[in-house]
Amino acid sequence: MSTRLLYVCEGGDCTEHGSGDIYHKIKECIEAEDPTQERVKVRRFPCFGGCEEAINVTVFPDRLFYSHVTETDVPEIVDHLLHDGNPVERLCGHVKPDVEEIVWDMLDSPY
Amino acid sequence: MSTVDLDAKIPNNVNLKDDKRLQRALETWLPGYQEWWADMGPSDFNTADVYLRTAVGVGKGGWAHFDYVKMPDYRWGIFLADPSGDQKIHFGDHAGDPVWSEVPGEMRGRLRRLIVTQADTEPASVEQQRMLGHTAPSLYDMRSLFQVNVEEGRHLWAMVYLLHSFFGSDGRDEAEALLQRRSGDPDSPRILQAFNNPIDSWMDFFCFTAFTDRDGKYQLAALAESGFDPLARTTQFMLTEEAYHLQTGENGVGRIIHRTAELLKAGKDPRAEGAIPMEIIQKFINFWSSASFDLFGGEDSTNASESFATGLKGRYREGDGIYSDPKALDQFYKLDIPDGDKMRTTEVPLRRAMNALLLDAYHTDCTRIAQRWQRDVEKFEIGANITLPCTKFNRRQGVYSEARFTPEGELISEAEWQKRHTDWLPTEADRAYVRSCMIKVHEPGKIANWIAPPARGVDDKPFEFEYVKLS
Repeated sequence: MSTRLLYVCEGGDCTEHGSGDIYHKIKECIEAEDPTQERVKVRRFPCFGGCEEAINVTVFPDRLFYSHVTETDVPEIVDHLLHDGNPVERLCGHVKPDVEEIVWDMLDSPY
Repeated sequence: MSTVDLDAKIPNNVNLKDDKRLQRALETWLPGYQEWWADMGPSDFNTADVYLRTAVGVGKGGWAHFDYVKMPDYRWGIFLADPSGDQKIHFGDHAGDPVWSEVPGEMRGRLRRLIVTQADTEPASVEQQRMLGHTAPSLYDMRSLFQVNVEEGRHLWAMVYLLHSFFGSDGRDEAEALLQRRSGDPDSPRILQAFNNPIDSWMDFFCFTAFTDRDGKYQLAALAESGFDPLARTTQFMLTEEAYHLQTGENGVGRIIHRTAELLKAGKDPRAEGAIPMEIIQKFINFWSSASFDLFGGEDSTNASESFATGLKGRYREGDGIYSDPKALDQFYKLDIPDGDKMRTTEVPLRRAMNALLLDAYHTDCTRIAQRWQRDVEKFEIGANITLPCTKFNRRQGVYSEARFTPEGELISEAEWQKRHTDWLPTEADRAYVRSCMIKVHEPGKIANWIAPPARGVDDKPFEFEYVKLS
């Protein structure tokens, strides 16, 4: 798969912390350089289950699980995706491994 | 972005005023709908002021307008998501072709059946839940119930719009029939069995919204991939509302588990406190999740294959491009099937396994929820476990319906099942006990003893807020 997928959680806790605004901000930044989302598709996701670490954002197939995302993190997230920047390490590793595992199961397909 | 006409008799963003024939048809259907709501909607609360979220647009924040509304005055309407930039069919034999704005003749019957089956679930759930307001554990929960109810009503409108717009007199007849069938009615039941099961306790309601509404999400998501663009855009907008319903269920069951765990940690017997023992909670989870597995249909299905091939119903998140072959040809799905007293593995052409694939995605999502509940239980160190049954358990549809399985998926004999099934599924005594816990609490800031308060209120309001003003 050549296209990356970025998902913003819209579960109760994430929504309460403002994930709707994060979604729009990321989408806006991506589309400023990639108007038809050829390289990165930005999507909402019902819930990743990492509610205590809201706001959660994932990047697939990179398998990056970002937590505690705020608007100030958005430029770095986008820089990684569009300009070969580095993943935003400080946002990774906050949820338990079993939460991450099940999310990758949900996002992946053997077909 | 499309313009929403909120002042019209039927609020919409589909330029209804420019299509007089359709406008007349829907305005003719409206009184029947209002009559159905009066007869079968939430019992006895139509004069209450309810703090509801109302859709006022389809863009950013457009569906999150909150205010006090009397339910019969709720602005039911027709909202389609705005068209996306990518107007191509993502899958099946027509992959890469432009999406259809009209129904291709040869797909008419199949598409109508898909829409009617989905549409039928919307009024059904309102009917199933109509008495629950009387036993609401708090005003916060009562508001959640009514929010779910009015939005299911609006989803019915969305589907009826499609029937009236694209299916002529057949569509009009189907729209009428949606108001005639009744959940649980032996002569005129709702189409799918889970929507005929009674919901006479909040334990059932929260399990229903956690599991059965979640099936709806997966079905809608598959239809949101449809090559028939009006259906795809209708279901995309419905999904934004459906997310709240699922959260209501997931958090609701979680709050019941949390309360029971709190009592156990304090050395109290949940029964003595009017709360629900952990083993009964687990039985309700087993019952509602397995009833919801059945809603996906047969694991090996030529119908599902044809719906995929013709571009009507895609795989979950098909449009995200996560599948290697959008046509799903030359691939096989491994399916374990019972064969006498053993299991064997067979290979099903992938197109015929579309229901099984969707069920797999659903089951993984439900596993995530069960793990979340279990993480909460573990914090109390009471040695309790909450789990999700295997997709083979307690099935009435599909390849597992002819055999018996434990919740862990072990094949067992009929005799073994008869001996043990009451360990796994609610008995009438369990149900009667749960119903006995359902005592109304209608004072702001108060809550019944069988459920923990929510972590936060709605729309930045505290739990103590008067979410429903009872007249």
